[in-house]
Amino acid sequence: MSATQSRVRATAPGRGATAQIPSRRRSKRVGYGYWWWSLPALVLTIVTVYITTASGAFFAFTNWTGVGTFDFVGITNFVNIFKTPELIGALVNTLVLAFGFVVLTNVFGLLFALALNRTLKTRYLLRTLVFMPVVLSPVAVSFIWKFIFDFNGPLNQILGAVGLKSLQTAWLASPSLAIVCILVVLVWQSIGFVMVTYLAGLATVPPELEEAAALDGAGVWRRFRSVTVPMIQPSIAIATTLTLIQGLRVFDQVMALTGGGPSHATETLATEIYNQTFTYQQFGFGAAMALVLSVLILVFTVVQQSITRDRSQIGD
Amino acid sequence: MSQSTTTRIRRAAAIAAVAAVGVSLAACSGGASGSGSGSGGGSSAKEPQSFTFAFSEANTKDNSLEQVATAFEKLHKGVKITIQKLPAESVGQAIATRVQGGNAPDVFAAESGIGQVNAIQPWAKAGLLLPITDPAVTTALKPAGLSQFQYGGKTYAVSRGSGLNGIIWNADAAKSIGVNLTDSSTFQDVLSGCAAAKAKGKSLFGLAGAVPPNPGILAQIIATSTVYGPDQNWNTERAAGKVKFATTAGWKQALEAIQTMYKQGCFQPGATGAGFDALTNGASSGQFFGFFAPGGAAASVNAASGGHVHLTVLPLPSPSGTTYASVSSDQVVAASAKTKSPKLVQQFLSYIAGPDGQKVVSVGVGYPVGTKDASALPDTYKPVASILTSPNVRSFPSIEWTNGKISNDLGAGVQGILTGQKTVAQVLDQLDTDWG
Repeated sequence: MSATQSRVRATAPGRGATAQIPSRRRSKRVGYGYWWWSLPALVLTIVTVYITTASGAFFAFTNWTGVGTFDFVGITNFVNIFKTPELIGALVNTLVLAFGFVVLTNVFGLLFALALNRTLKTRYLLRTLVFMPVVLSPVAVSFIWKFIFDFNGPLNQILGAVGLKSLQTAWLASPSLAIVCILVVLVWQSIGFVMVTYLAGLATVPPELEEAAALDGAGVWRRFRSVTVPMIQPSIAIATTLTLIQGLRVFDQVMALTGGGPSHATETLATEIYNQTFTYQQFGFGAAMALVLSVLILVFTVVQQSITRDRSQIGD
Repeated sequence: MSQSTTTRIRRAAAIAAVAAVGVSLAACSGGASGSGSGSGGGSSAKEPQSFTFAFSEANTKDNSLEQVATAFEKLHKGVKITIQKLPAESVGQAIATRVQGGNAPDVFAAESGIGQVNAIQPWAKAGLLLPITDPAVTTALKPAGLSQFQYGGKTYAVSRGSGLNGIIWNADAAKSIGVNLTDSSTFQDVLSGCAAAKAKGKSLFGLAGAVPPNPGILAQIIATSTVYGPDQNWNTERAAGKVKFATTAGWKQALEAIQTMYKQGCFQPGATGAGFDALTNGASSGQFFGFFAPGGAAASVNAASGGHVHLTVLPLPSPSGTTYASVSSDQVVAASAKTKSPKLVQQFLSYIAGPDGQKVVSVGVGYPVGTKDASALPDTYKPVASILTSPNVRSFPSIEWTNGKISNDLGAGVQGILTGQKTVAQVLDQLDTDWG
């Protein structure tokens, strides 16, 4: 029994215990206070998150167009999602972007964190520079990169200037390159965030432990694998979880860079949800897609959590 | 005139052009007629003598809607119209959200039919729009095709005017490289012009290939000649299942013509990935001489340039047979069923539909609905006066299409054809699927 529970029980006498009234009042105030304090946030969360989500899930089984009445259509919307080639393409693009994003941001973020962790004198300046894109608006960043990738933009001009004119292309109009361009922008902007997460983890690794391992003859790779990685396991779990979720719901960058083009080649589930719901006014169908995306995020997050959980804590 | 002055004028004109194109392209299709009923606001003798009016402007000179509001205020002492200007890029979405959210402006700019996000017929079906009871409005709209403004036999919107969808053409600049397109030019003349421009290191046309409405309007302009010219009732036949996109030779010809133009270098380098910004840069640097948009863009650009640019409107010559002009009246003004001034608002809509209102408001689109006299056409339309007064005129194809996804997939499909992602047959199959 916790100390709080003991105190509450000890100061909660039955009716008629007049001698203990001041104590009881104080106890009730404290007890009710805990409950009431959380109520506004709880109600707000239930109303704005859970009820709206449940409403969205409800409309996923209807043919509602956003106005007027609707009919229940069962699982028709879900069947149509998986029967529509462009939506399958959007699902594949979502997965490609999400996993590419997780791998690349975490690899580069960790490399930057390791490089800027201790020895470098300019590490604080460099950390700031690497982190800077994180604070910028994703849409603004995407428009800048759109300008860079433009056919008449700086990238092609540089290629031309260094004698690589044959490589000049309409980057965002190429079905194969456009999604790579989006991935580049996503990774570029998020490396700083992942780096900071890993820097926090690396701060918990005692230098003495690494020195002891080095004295025992462990090389750089062995020290990294056997000392650093286990110590920063919580950071890995956090960074990969957040980047996975961010990657699965990517929207801003796709809309700003390609609008889902060329010819739907870079559509993701999030952009298709927007198109179906707001452009084509298929609210029911859009809600079904949103539900699929939510389930997808939930499943992948659970799987990812089970993969990256700190196994050293099992059995504690 | 100094070089720098010329450059500044060109740049200003180009910026105005792109803004105008953006607005015009966002307003380039409508939808079909339907049946059912809509609710309307009643009238009251004591209703407020004021209302809100929401729309967007391409530039400061594109103020025909503001001017028609001012003219109405002058005619009706004590009436106050509060203008709400919305961003051109998101005006359709903004108005759609407000109408569907029960927070609509009293009066607002929209699209006829059903084929756009801000099209009136779905809202009329849901009882969100004010029916217009003035029989003079119905009479005035008849020449434009009444069904696109109606639902269940009631009229819910008035047209801002009629306009030709075609090439917004800088004839003076094109003549400087020896290219002279007219309404009697052939498709071969266009291809020859493309070669001539390419030889000078320029392109004949600008294309915002990454923005589906732009290649989409190009495809529909050509299909007006190849599909709707020979078969005026193609949409009706498609609705009845008698014809399909995939099996109609004219649609194949239209998309193949764009493919040919692309291969012949008619569009600027990087056209497949270009947005409206590329049109800005291309037009300001004289990289090309025309682009594809609703005709109102020409007058708007000319006004914004202060008279330094003289753009005109041309139909795109047909790749086979007779050239038909694509004319539409789909940019409309409608009113909310929830307005507290239904009587006053109806008066305003009647004024817009009437001859005096049309004279003011149609400047932003082209010319008043029902104009038959060639001498009454604005200057930008003089080069096409003969074709507009001939029988070779067809409505804009997508006005009667069943949903907005068809025209969107047509534009995206054209981009896919040019990038090699899709074949003509695949795009046409997709359009049949979208039709439902």
